[in-house]
Amino acid sequence: MHIDRLKLTNYRNYEALELNFSPTMNVLIGENAQGKTNVMEAIYVLAMAKSHRTSNDRELIRWEQECGKIEGDVQRKFGYMPIELTISKKGKKAKVNHLEQNRLSMYVGQMNVVMFAPEDLNIVKGSPQLRRRFLDMEIGQISRVYLHDLVNFQKILKQRNALLKANRGKLDLQDVMFDIYTEQYIQVAVQIILKRFYFMELLQKWANPIHQGISRGLETLEVSYGTLKDLHSGQTAEEMETIFADQLKSVRRRELERGLTLVGPHRDDLQFFVNGYDIQTYGSQGQQRTTALSLKLAEIELVKQEVGETPILLLDDVLSELDDYRQSHLLSTMQGQVQTFVTTTNIAGIDHNTIQEAAIFEVHDGSVLPRD
Amino acid sequence: MHYPEPISKLMDSFMKLPGIGPKTAGRLAFFVLSMKEDTVLDFAKALVDAKRNLQFCSVCGHITDIDPCYICQDQSRDRTTICVVQDPKDVIAMEKMRDYRGLYHVLQGAISPMDGIGPEDINVPSLLTRLQEDEVEELILATNPTIEGEATAMYISRLVRPSGITTTRIAHGLPVGGDLEYADEVTLSRALEGRREL
Ligand SMILES: Nc1ncnc2c1ncn2[C@@H]1O[C@H](COP(=O)(O)OP(=O)(O)OP(=O)(O)O)[C@@H](O)[C@H]1O
Ligand SMILES: [Mg+2]
Ligand SMILES: [Zn+2]
Repeated sequence: MHIDRLKLTNYRNYEALELNFSPTMNVLIGENAQGKTNVMEAIYVLAMAKSHRTSNDRELIRWEQECGKIEGDVQRKFGYMPIELTISKKGKKAKVNHLEQNRLSMYVGQMNVVMFAPEDLNIVKGSPQLRRRFLDMEIGQISRVYLHDLVNFQKILKQRNALLKANRGKLDLQDVMFDIYTEQYIQVAVQIILKRFYFMELLQKWANPIHQGISRGLETLEVSYGTLKDLHSGQTAEEMETIFADQLKSVRRRELERGLTLVGPHRDDLQFFVNGYDIQTYGSQGQQRTTALSLKLAEIELVKQEVGETPILLLDDVLSELDDYRQSHLLSTMQGQVQTFVTTTNIAGIDHNTIQEAAIFEVHDGSVLPRD
Repeated sequence: MHYPEPISKLMDSFMKLPGIGPKTAGRLAFFVLSMKEDTVLDFAKALVDAKRNLQFCSVCGHITDIDPCYICQDQSRDRTTICVVQDPKDVIAMEKMRDYRGLYHVLQGAISPMDGIGPEDINVPSLLTRLQEDEVEELILATNPTIEGEATAMYISRLVRPSGITTTRIAHGLPVGGDLEYADEVTLSRALEGRREL
């Protein structure tokens, strides 16, 4: 799939902007703080109804304005589809084919994007919370049921925690309502874990060959998903629920001490091994960056398989960080296969063959001009 | 902006209603000025009467101007079945369909620990008393298809189970305000899991 046209109204530093893109390679050139990332972010937000760099939607609205709007024409296999997202201080509204959508979880997935930005290094280096967010955003993009489960999980977790807190300090809790919420909790948590196992297996399958390619065959990448102990892929939901229930029971007293649910997918984490070594601890900057990049590129394959179409690739400030070999390997793999957006401050830093085929845009202080 | 006091007072009153912000309140307030005096008086009286003359039915918890309500008093209705709902609005919606001939019980909410709402804070105790006294054989649990509504239905069903009264959960086909495509994907996947008994 690709995006043909993008229109921004009062989005970040753009008052009004309309752009037509190439279905293959698009390069945005401009100095610092001119609005390159803002364009990439807008495409991302149009797809995900969420920014990759902030959870505060108000930041997306142009200063001193009430609401901002992103419109795009997406070309998919089955045809052309206009989508739009309005962000106001009250919330977000989405339209597909001019029809307003009731739920954002419905809307997400109409257009698929894979973004790689400098922040993504945190998937490897940052806190477990960032890795869970990575998982949730990626799986959510290919499965609405997963998004739905996540929302329910959060609600049930809050209710269960409220009961634990209300009974804090007790040694045990005999309460029908608590049993009900515990059962519901286990059920939805297991659904989330099953999806994560499935996703991680696919990610592993695609990420390793990509990583080998980028590293000239010098490195292998292994991804491992850590959840409750004794849970592994291949188990049925019922088996997992039984193990889950036992572990919850064994920490009941501690849960009551803390007033918190201590076992569940909200404590999951990921680990990455390059040539067998934990890259979070032992990896060099470059290795960590390549790992994060491989994961993101693996996602392209994943979306292709699950959705049946190639997603749009957004590479923000990435090229300058890669050595020449890695850069040209990356670009040549994407060439002609995936609609790609690249930002840079300096055109000289970009692979020559790529530039010749690309649509180039000059970004300067809230204006974007196509270069012929 | 500065409004004469009577207008800003009226706007304040409108803003106490759900979903009404300052802009709409202003529009409504100025519209009231253009209405005939009689119409305004009828309006004001209707508001006061609704509040003064309506109460909750001491049997089922529905809103009513007589106690017990007309549904509870109707001897032609099937007294062996009670439909449990969260809100008086749900009774009105069910009655519009005209299919259901049993009685109701209005909980006035759902159990929600994080909001500090336990079973005793909604009409669960009165339901249990009712089940002991009356000739009820079946309980239809028609609470909302939310986490809290679902949990409340399960809670009631577990309390009632030992008494031998049948409990059924109403089938919520489409989520309220939901989209067909979305619902299909979610319902389908749920159907594959197999829906559990309450
Ligand atoms: N809500 C907003 N309203 C108006 N301007 C904004 C808003 N948010 C950010 N900006 C402005 O947008 C500019 C930053 O744009 P952006 O992050 O896209 O820069 P960039 O071209 O990617 O720069 P770099 O090369 O440093 O990454 C800044 O000048 C910032 O002040
Ligand atoms: Mg930038
Ligand atoms: Zn009544």
